[in-house]
Amino acid sequence: MKFENRQPREGINTTREHPLKRFAIVLGSAAVLVTLLVVSLQLAGGWIARKVPFRYEQLALEQTDIQLGSDNASEALTAWLNQLAEKVAHGLDMPEEIEITVHYDRDNVFNAFATIGGQLVFYRGLLSQMPNENALAMVMAHEIAHVLHRDPLAGLGGGLSSMLALTALTGQSGTGAAASILNQTGLLTGVQFTRSMENAADRAALAAVNTVYGHINGADTLFRLTGAERDDSAIPTWLERFASTHPLDDDRVRAIRQMADERGYASSGALTPLPAQFKQWLDDE
Amino acid sequence: MIELGIAVVLVVTGYIFGSAAERRHFKSIVQREQEMNELAAVASRFPPQDTAWRQQLVTGNVVIASDYFKTFTASLINIFGGKVTPFESLIDRARREALLRMKANAKSLGADYVFNVKYNTSRISQFGAGAIEVMAYGTALSTPDQPVLNVTDEV
Repeated sequence: MKFENRQPREGINTTREHPLKRFAIVLGSAAVLVTLLVVSLQLAGGWIARKVPFRYEQLALEQTDIQLGSDNASEALTAWLNQLAEKVAHGLDMPEEIEITVHYDRDNVFNAFATIGGQLVFYRGLLSQMPNENALAMVMAHEIAHVLHRDPLAGLGGGLSSMLALTALTGQSGTGAAASILNQTGLLTGVQFTRSMENAADRAALAAVNTVYGHINGADTLFRLTGAERDDSAIPTWLERFASTHPLDDDRVRAIRQMADERGYASSGALTPLPAQFKQWLDDE
Repeated sequence: MIELGIAVVLVVTGYIFGSAAERRHFKSIVQREQEMNELAAVASRFPPQDTAWRQQLVTGNVVIASDYFKTFTASLINIFGGKVTPFESLIDRARREALLRMKANAKSLGADYVFNVKYNTSRISQFGAGAIEVMAYGTALSTPDQPVLNVTDEV
């Protein structure tokens, strides 16, 4: 009996294919899959959230014991902020069931946000930099417009369902790198939605400010302030434009100007000063 | 964004170094397979009965790590299904290398044949890119008067 080993022919146990080809196919398909998934979930989640009656939002908020704003904020300031909200809301054509409550937070963050149940929070860092009522009214109108468009709940609905789906998907794929790339693709798709919400809120806010004050002078103050802060950042503009949740400040200033031109809003007019005690209120107990 | 950058760097590094290592390894495997061709290793359990063979267990094992590019591509293939081609070449290398090491072991014992060859495989690392172990083992048969060559240093 003779035993022998012969050289096996190459390529029987391995597939002859350039590794990059397979890589490109699966990476491309995964990106398309994640994008489609997030787009449909954002649309569906947002759509369902906007169908939920506003009072459920309020009920949901009551169930939580989240503290909004500082508890020792100046009452005079809170009252004035709520008056301003009411004044601005007239320009926004609000349905009756939507109620706005404004809170003041003493943190020195340059920010303001709207959350479920018509709750707005304004931070000291933002308020202390407002030069006049018109500038603040624009920010206020922007946040109220988010409530009016039901964006806080839509964001939660769309964001949460996409996140769950992404976690389910990336949890299946072994390495951190794959999960990270798929998650980033999902996040990038998600921010395109929040950006369109921001643009819609800007447009509604500008119309409201024009209705209330008769002109839009001072409306772009916020974006000029944030724009000046961000000019030092190292991120290239094109990347920031693509990856940011908010439209770029320059783009927003431009969009405001364009909309004002189209609709014939007056861009100059007398600015309404802030109340004399405003700065003092910010630090009052 | 930073996570994304790290992932890209890992995948590119994995591809460059991983494919270079794979090319080198396959070249060496093919060359050594030709050199070892005379020593037959077979799966049969029934050696020729005409000789009173000296029998010895011979083993050869190897651990090969996957690279980030392979693991990354494989985990994406996991979503859609299909042949996990990046791992096919990894497993092929490990199996052939293990057999070659087993043969080298047998050769050092002056064996004429290796019978009853089997493979064993296990996963070494749960973390990062992962690694696999393949072990080949069999019974080396040599004629009793065959001097035992001490060539382990060459392996």
